[in-house]
Amino acid sequence: MRQRLRGWLGTALVRETGLTLLAVALAFAVGTLIIWAAGFSISAVFTNLWRGAFGNRISLGQTLTQATPIIFTSLSFLIAFRCGLFNIGAEGQLYVGAMAAAVVGTVLRVPAWLGVPLCLAAGGLAGAFWGWIPGLLKARRGVNEFVTTMMLSYVAIELTNFLVAPRGPLHDRTAWSNQTVRIATTAMLPRIMRPTQVSMALVIAGIAAIVVWYFLFRTPSGYELRSVGQSPAAAEYGGIRTPRKIVLALTLAGFLAGLGGAGEVLGTHYRFIAGFSPGYGWDGIAGGLIARAHPVAAVFAGLLMGALRAGGMQVQRARAAPGDIATVLQGLVIFFIIAPMLIRRLLIWKRRRN
Amino acid sequence: MDIFTVALLLSTLRLATPVALIALGETFSERAGIINVGVEGTATLGALVVALISFYTRSPWLALFAALVAGGLAGALHALWCIRWRANHVVSGIGINILVGGLAMFITGAVWGWRGTSPSAPTLNPWIIVIAGFVIICVAQVYLFRTRWGLRLRVVGEKPEAADTAGVNVHLTQYFYTILNGVLCGLAGAFFFNNLGRFTFGMVGGRGFIGIAAMVIGNYSPLGGLGAALLFGFVDALQMRLQAHIPNQFSIMLPYLLTVVVLAAFIRRANVPAALGRHYVKQ
Repeated sequence: MRQRLRGWLGTALVRETGLTLLAVALAFAVGTLIIWAAGFSISAVFTNLWRGAFGNRISLGQTLTQATPIIFTSLSFLIAFRCGLFNIGAEGQLYVGAMAAAVVGTVLRVPAWLGVPLCLAAGGLAGAFWGWIPGLLKARRGVNEFVTTMMLSYVAIELTNFLVAPRGPLHDRTAWSNQTVRIATTAMLPRIMRPTQVSMALVIAGIAAIVVWYFLFRTPSGYELRSVGQSPAAAEYGGIRTPRKIVLALTLAGFLAGLGGAGEVLGTHYRFIAGFSPGYGWDGIAGGLIARAHPVAAVFAGLLMGALRAGGMQVQRARAAPGDIATVLQGLVIFFIIAPMLIRRLLIWKRRRN
Repeated sequence: MDIFTVALLLSTLRLATPVALIALGETFSERAGIINVGVEGTATLGALVVALISFYTRSPWLALFAALVAGGLAGALHALWCIRWRANHVVSGIGINILVGGLAMFITGAVWGWRGTSPSAPTLNPWIIVIAGFVIICVAQVYLFRTRWGLRLRVVGEKPEAADTAGVNVHLTQYFYTILNGVLCGLAGAFFFNNLGRFTFGMVGGRGFIGIAAMVIGNYSPLGGLGAALLFGFVDALQMRLQAHIPNQFSIMLPYLLTVVVLAAFIRRANVPAALGRHYVKQ
């Protein structure tokens, strides 16, 4: 029994999960110090953080609503990361995806069984195109993808801003804010947890996570993609065409983020609204890293990020502290997650003291 | 066209300065083998700290000094994570960007009650930083290619084992130049504040990443980085004058689009340090 327990404790899954949880705990500890140093009430901040994330049905709905796009952007980040690439432009890919879905959703007049998939496809493809450009530039010319994905992200945000600005072609003339008109009812994703905004997009995010897992770990193409990430030279030597995998990884990354944007339009807002994302693209980076680039873990990481966002809103509303403490915590988590050597050192230090 | 004037030339020089400083900082740290994409966040931190200190002490010089220290600390954090804890360089840099993004909103909210902006505070003449920047870059060019310390730095990024054998302390060198990179980014951040007179979230607006692009286009040399930065400064200055003629979203987009195009067209990989991004472990 003890042997078996020890064997179970030694598995990679448990070890990785343990290190991750420890990193999150350390980040919260440092976050607590910052809250204290800034002169806010620690208990008020954490009570509201919890209440805003899980306090009641409405808060839980808010957490799930916020988590939905973050799961997509986490998957987007990690699929590129598995190929040794950094997609830090998920924010822009999310915006073009949302815009494409909104456009198709307003002009198409087809039944829902066809309309919804078409809108999702449009969003995914628009995002894929936005990821394909940096992929091609990386594969052909060796251009740093973290610079180009970031730059194209700014371009995407300004481009979509233009389209819905008062003088832009897609501006809803009946509205004061910069947005498109409402999409057709047949293009909407059903809500699954009324009265909250949680929609079928959450379920699609879960399915996407499983598909990405299957692709990465159960298909030859996914295996090759991961090989490139582990060692480009060895992969090349083994007959894998590295440039192709680079283009594929960034295109898929763009596709996933674009799908996330489409989900926001079809499930949450029913229209494209300028600046609708409070930084889901960035949350995806944190999410992908916390998940240690595992697609199924990304669902949980996305939920954690969503909970932080929902909690942060409540912290802000209750005036316990600026709600951005949630982003600070997120940044701290990244630092502790990426330094497993630091955590291990801390553990050894503790053991020695015992 | 009447938009090509002396004023355009002057604003080119001004707007090129932060990009050139960040490109120089990144040149130093990458020549030592350390990639730092946290330059964006480090510059933001510099701008935030200079606003805070200038607001409270009313001394823009003290504030400038504080920004350099804050930038250096961010560089030290990055160096510690990359060298001591062997974290992935790019991820650690992204971590800095996200953390500073959160802190900037949190601190402005906590101190002034306005999320993401500071009230105006005493400033220096931004031309002081512009001129200092140009002098620093010229000195750095000589330092990097004409002095023994410059040679040691280049060897550390190229072949750390050889540097080690020759008696150069690889890790110490990496710490030093990564911190120096942070200090230069802090100076760039101070420029942003002194140029506008207050801190606003997003005032760096991708100029950190453009600085990295300028370094790549300038082929890892201080003067090359300055040349590329001047090009971006020019487009940035032009962009502001174009806002009257084309939808302003397109003019804002211009520097970012240009970065992608110029990177794709002019990338040379001759001088990429061979040991870039590697974790050197002493045998």
